[in-house]
Amino acid sequence: MLKIINGQVYDPANGVRGELKDICIEGGKIIAEPHFPQNHKGDIEVIDAAGCAVMPGGVEIHSHLAGPKVNTARMMCPEDHYDHVHSKTLATRSGTGYTIPSTFLTGQLYSRLGYTTVFEAAVPALLARHAHEELQDTPLLDAGFFTLMGNNYMMMKVLGEPESEKRKERLRDLVAWLLRSSKGYAVKIVNPGGIESWKWSQGSVNLDTPVPPFGVTPRRMLLELVDVVEELHLPHPIHLHSNHLGEAGNVQTTLETMRTLEGRRVHLTHMQFHSYGATKKGGIASGAPQIAEYLNQHPEFTCDAGQIVFGPVTTMTADSPMQFHLHQLTGNKWANADVEMESGAGIVPLIYRPSNLVNAIQWSIGLELLLLVKNPWQIFLTTDHPNAGPFTAYPQIIRLLMDADYRRARMAELNPKAVRYTCLAELDREYTLDEIAIITRAGPAKALGLYRKGHLGVDADADVAIYRLQQDKEAMFSRPAYVLKDGEVIVREGQVIKNVRGRTLFVQPEGSQKLPPDLADDFAKFYSIALSNFAVEEEYVERPEVIPCI
Amino acid sequence: MRHLSRYSALSKGLFVPEGRKGRKVVVIDVRPTATSKQADIFLQVTPGQDFEIATVLRALIKGLPLEGLSESSTVAGVPLSKWRELVALMKECHYGVVMFGIGLTQSRGKELNLEQINTLVGEMNEFTRFYAIPMRGHGNVNGSNQVLTWQTGYPFAVNLSRGYPRYNPGEFSVMDLLVRREVDAALIIATDPGAHLPKAAVEHLKNIPIIVLEPHENWTTSWANVVIPVAPAGVGAAGTFYRMDSVALHVKKLVDFPFPSDLEVVKSIKERITDVKDYQRASL
Repeated sequence: MLKIINGQVYDPANGVRGELKDICIEGGKIIAEPHFPQNHKGDIEVIDAAGCAVMPGGVEIHSHLAGPKVNTARMMCPEDHYDHVHSKTLATRSGTGYTIPSTFLTGQLYSRLGYTTVFEAAVPALLARHAHEELQDTPLLDAGFFTLMGNNYMMMKVLGEPESEKRKERLRDLVAWLLRSSKGYAVKIVNPGGIESWKWSQGSVNLDTPVPPFGVTPRRMLLELVDVVEELHLPHPIHLHSNHLGEAGNVQTTLETMRTLEGRRVHLTHMQFHSYGATKKGGIASGAPQIAEYLNQHPEFTCDAGQIVFGPVTTMTADSPMQFHLHQLTGNKWANADVEMESGAGIVPLIYRPSNLVNAIQWSIGLELLLLVKNPWQIFLTTDHPNAGPFTAYPQIIRLLMDADYRRARMAELNPKAVRYTCLAELDREYTLDEIAIITRAGPAKALGLYRKGHLGVDADADVAIYRLQQDKEAMFSRPAYVLKDGEVIVREGQVIKNVRGRTLFVQPEGSQKLPPDLADDFAKFYSIALSNFAVEEEYVERPEVIPCI
Repeated sequence: MRHLSRYSALSKGLFVPEGRKGRKVVVIDVRPTATSKQADIFLQVTPGQDFEIATVLRALIKGLPLEGLSESSTVAGVPLSKWRELVALMKECHYGVVMFGIGLTQSRGKELNLEQINTLVGEMNEFTRFYAIPMRGHGNVNGSNQVLTWQTGYPFAVNLSRGYPRYNPGEFSVMDLLVRREVDAALIIATDPGAHLPKAAVEHLKNIPIIVLEPHENWTTSWANVVIPVAPAGVGAAGTFYRMDSVALHVKKLVDFPFPSDLEVVKSIKERITDVKDYQRASL
């Protein structure tokens, strides 16, 4: 048994807010404190966490860390790797990279921040095998990914069906089959209909634009997919990247999308990129107050921030039209991919600068959202890694949230015009440690439906991060004193001391094991691989953990 | 030919129900080939002018003036009017794909030719959807690129001698290391350097100890110090192949082979090395 004593425990899911409490661990799980007779001298390992905050391991809800587009980005940006090298140690393998680290390094960097569970944000089912291969090489973390469906031909074809009962049943079977085949965790929708529309060289889509070739509107895709996900009892709701990412005035689209889905559980990702008002000249202004006001009245929605971090980033998304525009706008190098029948992807490296007015406003909007959304269980800390910034900047963002003086000092470095378009300067809120524990572990775990993660109650996975309490919160969260994965100490004083393999998290919703005959026929005719070669084989998940759909 | 029938030319698509009739195939090559016979348009060009061709196409697409060229001029031996026709076709199509071979990297200009072709394809997206797919040589070269990239950050020419990955094609590529005689032993998996590398590189390989993992007899096995016969992936062992367009495919084990797989051999070598290192560490 292992016992963590004298620590201030932050376990918001169980209502523990910094109380001194012992945590007992056995068999990789948190257990109730056993009653030993006095002077018991059993085999108990003790970690003295005096002066430390004890939290559940961090849970990443949205990050692009493994899979085909991430690897293409690594390949096209050796300049991201040259200056960021990590030698092998007795416990770890070597690696390179700053915004797009190699796989072994990604596992190490996350665990060195106290994170123990991560989700890759977007993988097309056709390329799922590749994503699983990379996750197998990403150590120290339990990991899964979301399967892209918002521009899938079979999905759009099924939705084109006139009869509603039959349509629903077929869609349910298709979604279950795609998730099972890809060994994915949740349904990801990226710019519904927009990627397909671009493939037809047509403009961007609104909620009611019929999308070629089947004429289905994004509104219908969203409504029906949300219903199906509820019926399948998936642990995580729809994970939605709305239309018009990054466009001035997109706050209207985002609000309209939420109104459409009102009353249903939905996760909206990288909200910062979707909260832009428009100035008269067509520039961006903060739409964060409107979004926050809406979220404050609608607890059924969760979102993650997508906070900007100044410095280099590598933007990558399935939203290929958006990436093409970014390439045209910046003139930076660009990669683009078309995933037959399913999706697309684009990659553009960028640098965010505080002196750039747009970047300064974007940075402010992310923080405004985090400060204006009252309920921390509704908004989570992400940088949409590596789109808005690398995840390694989380400690810095935590400091921005916890320390208003530091925030004001950093705001002084912004383009001076930014204050005209934002309200960040008026916000005095400072996050508490309890709230930080919610937005970095308890909240994401709850939204993901991971009932054994993000808390320290009995039967939870013994993934624990122990941070030495300090005034400087960036220093505190940059270097955990201990990180435990499944009850084993893997990080000591910010260094990985033991290499362990995590599990692959995925779902197996009920439903037909086979594609309906007409779709199977389409598959045989139009996919470039055979149907029998589509589903990811067992050997690509060496340590599987199926999260039940209940 | 399978590429033409299964993927690129003859196959019927969801939006190309007529198959071959619904497509236009243009072949640009220095000589007639089996592929060029299947083409709607074959432009036979003079060798070594790939960069010029891509540049002229870029200019025509953008409607830029062609300095030093008149309407009666030729580019790479093909009249300008033909290039204009090609550009019109490219702009009209709904979805274009450029498939290019490694020959482009061998002519004057080398990697700059590829940069120019890729820029051309990128710029075409202002008018319609256009993509480029490199036609790789041997099977699963892409797989090796993919794995090296996710593990080290770089696709090839990776040097781990300092304990972390370094990348420099031309310095750390196999050929350069061998020709400079920096290598004092080699482990060779799934390739036949004796048949493919230039003479100077092979000469050095012959002078150092080499271990070859290979199911067949080939030019290298005849003088290798150690040959470990392995079961070929997709026949005697399971494995993963990355197709030219980067779709990962699982290959199955079809028959029992008397030999272990590449993976099993490499794993057991690694285990032995770890044992020796642990022993050395313990006896320090």
